Amino acid sequence: MIAPAGVQALQVLTVLFAAPLVSGVTSHVEARFQGRRGPRVLQPYYDLAKLFRKETVVPEGSSWVFLAGPVVAFGCYLIVPLLIPVLTTYGLPLGYMGDILGGGMVLALGGFATALAASDSGAPYAQLGASRATTFGALIEPTVLFVVFIVAMITSTDLPYALAATVRSSSEAVRPSHVLVAVAFFLVVLADTGRIPVETHSGTIEFGMIDEARALEHSGAPFALTKWGSAIKQLVLYTILINVFVAPWGLASSGKVLDVLVAVLSLVGKALLLGVIFALIDNSFSKLRLFKITEYLAAAFLLACLGVLVFYVGGA
Amino acid sequence: MGPVPSGYASGADIAALLVLLTEFAMLRAPQLRSQVRLYGFQSFVVVVLTLVTGAVRGYSDLYILAGLSLLLKVVIVPALMFRLLRQLDVDQLHHPAGGGGGSMVLVAIAASAFGFFVLRSLDFRSKVLPTATLSVSLAIVLVAFVLVILRSDVVSQAVGFFSLENGVSIVSMAIAAGLPVVVEVSFLFDLLVAVVVFALIMRAHHARAGTLSTEALDRLRG
Repeated sequence: MIAPAGVQALQVLTVLFAAPLVSGVTSHVEARFQGRRGPRVLQPYYDLAKLFRKETVVPEGSSWVFLAGPVVAFGCYLIVPLLIPVLTTYGLPLGYMGDILGGGMVLALGGFATALAASDSGAPYAQLGASRATTFGALIEPTVLFVVFIVAMITSTDLPYALAATVRSSSEAVRPSHVLVAVAFFLVVLADTGRIPVETHSGTIEFGMIDEARALEHSGAPFALTKWGSAIKQLVLYTILINVFVAPWGLASSGKVLDVLVAVLSLVGKALLLGVIFALIDNSFSKLRLFKITEYLAAAFLLACLGVLVFYVGGA
Repeated sequence: MGPVPSGYASGADIAALLVLLTEFAMLRAPQLRSQVRLYGFQSFVVVVLTLVTGAVRGYSDLYILAGLSLLLKVVIVPALMFRLLRQLDVDQLHHPAGGGGGSMVLVAIAASAFGFFVLRSLDFRSKVLPTATLSVSLAIVLVAFVLVILRSDVVSQAVGFFSLENGVSIVSMAIAAGLPVVVEVSFLFDLLVAVVVFALIMRAHHARAGTLSTEALDRLRG
């Protein structure tokens, strides 16, 4: 048996150490789809190790905010796995510290810290990235709110554990509102992790850069933290999508060592599968023009909105 | 919180929602051809819904209706529209869908919300289809109206009118599935007449204005 506090720590550690693997596998698969050999699956770990050994260069005129930003963001992204069902079906001691909105706020705080650091660097591209990320973040927000509304209406709570339990118990029939909300959240994850319809996550094309541009001025250990942080954020969003909305199966229902081990492996497996799907999407669509992104986000909002209407008014 | 809907009910709801979402896609489709394609897909979903409803609820009339709709709405009407577009040799409009893409969607969301709330206050119950399907089909009709009003080209207006008929056919299936097949078929016949009329309008408009955009009509002020 593993004590609940231990399982809780394990949730954070799983996300912490599996995140680069998910990124690595995704970019490897993506390269394979394009007929390239692609980077090694473990390349993100090597990158991080290299960056941690490098010296840190700070732009002239920037203050402590520039160095604190990546650390704060990294911390924020690590708090969220405490709140969501990463490994267990039952709530852990700190799991009720915050609901979905709380988790969303902590994630947004991380984004805010990164944006602040980017603005403090004084570099135009970093500031442009920060400004764009904040603007599109504000446009994503209504969709996320409606997603939370639907969760709240389906389960009468706003705890992610409750929705996962509802999904598990009603496997024989799928609620239309639940399908809509899952698709809407999928689109949000696609936008929030800087994937193809919104942003090319690997290239450095100035015109289309959003998230990538924010970290341009960082170097050394803070840059490593930024990269690692965005990998963690990606895995956290994947986990929410998988373990709350789409496939909350394979989670541990007790603290037994075997159960927890299975949960860790199934989480990583499901996240890798989702990563492959995202790589497929990356290769099948072209990037939207910056001013067309609002239409993409409007589509996500439409789905969430219809979900609320269908549930609230139609009772389905 | 109501009970979890059964497999058939949620399937019907999802089909109706697909029809509604295609309606929204038509609202934003930049190309006229893709709009016609969307209409074909939408009609196909309606046909599938008709077939499944006929099978589950035991209305054999619906099979005939589904067969006729498949022939007319999925094959003939899109083929005629494609042929017309090929003959007129236009595809891309100069001002696709006008400005304010987001606000158009918001107007349509408001319209469909209105439909949902109206149907809820009427407290209609359908024996054949779940209540949510009924409200979704009302929303389809309203969004089709928004499409016809806001898009300023003849093709969108024609397709909007045709898809209005799709919405109406779901409504009629929900509230009167036992309707004599003659009545249902006469709806389809209406559609055929509408196709002829719209084809005439498109040709006449294109011959006079040289474009399919109705914005050109502003110049005809007397």
